[in-house]
Amino acid sequence: MKSSIRRSRRAAVAVALGSVLALTATACGDDGSGSAGGKGGEGSGKGTITFWDNNGGVRTDVWKEIIADFEKQNPGIKVTYVGVPAASVQSKYDTAIQGGGLPDVGGVGTAMLAEIAAQGALEPLDSRLAKSSLNGKLNEKFLESVKSAGGDGETYSVPTSANNGTLWYRTDLFSAVKLAPPTTWTNFYTAAGKLTDRAKNRFGYTIRGGEGSIAQALDAMYGQSGITSFWNGDKTTVNDPKNVTALEKYTGLYKKDTPSADVNNDFTKMVAQWDSGTIGMLSHNLGSYADHEKALSGKFRGIPNPTLDDGTRVQVSNPVDGLGLFKSGKNKAAAWKFIEFAASHASNSKWNESAGQVPANDEAAQDAWVRASEPTKLAAEALSGATTKIVQLPYYLPDWNTVSKAGNEPNFQKVLLGKMTAKEFLDTLADQLNKAQADWKKNH
Amino acid sequence: MITEIAPAAGPVVTEPARPGKKRRAWDEVPRWQIYLPLGIYLLFTLIPFYWILLFALRPAGSTSLVPWPVTFEHFHKVWTERSFATYFTNSVYVGVSTLVLTTVVALAGGYALARFDFRLKRGFMLALLCSQFVPGALLLVPLFQIFAKLQMINSLGSVVIAETVFQLPLSMILISGFIRNVPYSLEEAAWVDGCGRLTAFRIVVLPLLRPGLIAVGSFAFVHAWNHFLFALMFLSDQSKQTIPVGLNTLMSADSVDLGALAAGGIIAAVPVVIVFAFIQKWLITGFSAGAVKG
Repeated sequence: MKSSIRRSRRAAVAVALGSVLALTATACGDDGSGSAGGKGGEGSGKGTITFWDNNGGVRTDVWKEIIADFEKQNPGIKVTYVGVPAASVQSKYDTAIQGGGLPDVGGVGTAMLAEIAAQGALEPLDSRLAKSSLNGKLNEKFLESVKSAGGDGETYSVPTSANNGTLWYRTDLFSAVKLAPPTTWTNFYTAAGKLTDRAKNRFGYTIRGGEGSIAQALDAMYGQSGITSFWNGDKTTVNDPKNVTALEKYTGLYKKDTPSADVNNDFTKMVAQWDSGTIGMLSHNLGSYADHEKALSGKFRGIPNPTLDDGTRVQVSNPVDGLGLFKSGKNKAAAWKFIEFAASHASNSKWNESAGQVPANDEAAQDAWVRASEPTKLAAEALSGATTKIVQLPYYLPDWNTVSKAGNEPNFQKVLLGKMTAKEFLDTLADQLNKAQADWKKNH
Repeated sequence: MITEIAPAAGPVVTEPARPGKKRRAWDEVPRWQIYLPLGIYLLFTLIPFYWILLFALRPAGSTSLVPWPVTFEHFHKVWTERSFATYFTNSVYVGVSTLVLTTVVALAGGYALARFDFRLKRGFMLALLCSQFVPGALLLVPLFQIFAKLQMINSLGSVVIAETVFQLPLSMILISGFIRNVPYSLEEAAWVDGCGRLTAFRIVVLPLLRPGLIAVGSFAFVHAWNHFLFALMFLSDQSKQTIPVGLNTLMSADSVDLGALAAGGIIAAVPVVIVFAFIQKWLITGFSAGAVKG
């Protein structure tokens, strides 16, 4: 009896051990399909390709329209659409790079381009672009941004659109007290003060103190200091005395002309607060246009960031969105056809009209809807205007996302709360950036 | 002959009789001293829910603090245009399958832990406990590779298996606690009456485990219902995605439709609220009976 129990135990142990080993073996094995190391292939130019939308949900409908148009024009190719929530797209890519299952084509913004390209997942596109019908039709500045963000001089994505920092302001409130539009920083600060009436819960401005605060603070800081380059040699200019003064003035608005709850503002809270309250101005980007239109139709305008008094506009670069071709794809010819189609005049125009953003295709940027949508038109003019200087943020640094987000957002909150000075904050930021730049230079 | 045993509704917690003096003192506490703090606490808890209802029921663009006129446009939008009908069905599938699988496997494992002594039992229990400290995100890549090899990526089965695997350790420990509370002599009596182990378990032990099973099952269901990460990583097709992923797609990188998000949040919360409303009695009894006893 005992020996039979022992035998069955042994058998159970053997089965369990075998299962573990089998699962471990399958887990460790990698046939290269769809992971970063996979070589992929050109394929026949027909068949099924997978496309990951990096802003799934809100843009799903317009992508499905574009895909339907593409499939009609290319009957041999079927595109499988996968909408990935914007907040989780980086982790989805990272998991697929390590574990397999990368798509053939994916939406990749400049903010995450360096990290994905550094893992060897994306195909360089310069030679394909040179031979493409898109050659010469894409906005040069957007192409430069994409190339710079890749980190090694190669172009890893075809730009499709750009966002731009926008100062949204309430025209009804400005008219009521006869204020000039906040087109200059001087006008901006005057309006912020005059529109504030704390007793009536009215504020001139809402500041972003929570998630995403750093990029917005940098935009305001460089915009006022007039410094036009992020680097001075190998050292960053973020803690330049002019920037320190500008940041002190900007953060000085907190609680004086802004709600005190702003210290926790991410874009969702900030936009919701502006749309439902009596706040004069909001700095966000073109993306919230539809939300403002729903809540405040006819009572607001969106203009590019204020200029210096001499009319010079300095602003930081905003992420340029684009489409990347993944190295592991087994049908790159078909995938490239889809990218070309999506970045072509008609599709690019359709997509950007739906998103309210600036088209990367120069022909699409001339379309009537761009002229009719004032915030988009002004943003497009600002982005290509001679008096606009764009400070290129170092998206190419693999540490950029950490440094500009979780790494320093708590410190920015300390500045707002008066627990840290603007200089201390910027010195800390500068140290981290200089180190990240030095590390990057070692490898490039 | 099998002795029929009335199912126990878990241990009966009898409140010790308070001495008369103390009872009077309790009765003499002004009611406002009880209801005011409770009211403040309730207000604090319910305001966010009211806010969600407000955004879900008032028209887009309204800044009114009361949801009037009431509109169901956001519910209609998320249910039809944003595919929440599909996400809801998928979430029900994942939640119910995880519940069933977790409960059945935990029942078998918990019985073994409670009734058998085997070598390395303590080590096994320790490993079960330790597995609770491993975050799901850490295992994403190996799990992804395993499911890819098994051709299970983009299948709801992968999410059900992953959720079950993560639910099992705690569920097994809880169930083993419940089973230990059932006297072994009851099972022995059933064997004497001619039952096999399985029949004795089914007829004698199982009915007594009802509160524990409900506690473990509901815990598994709610966890699987709310869990985002595995569904995001293992499922690609929109037709396969679950409610938490669907909710996330309502927030784009720079724009949020708060009305739709609030309506989606309510759709996501309703099944959980209903589950808790029906099982709360069993849940409290179950946890108090099994959770603290090893």
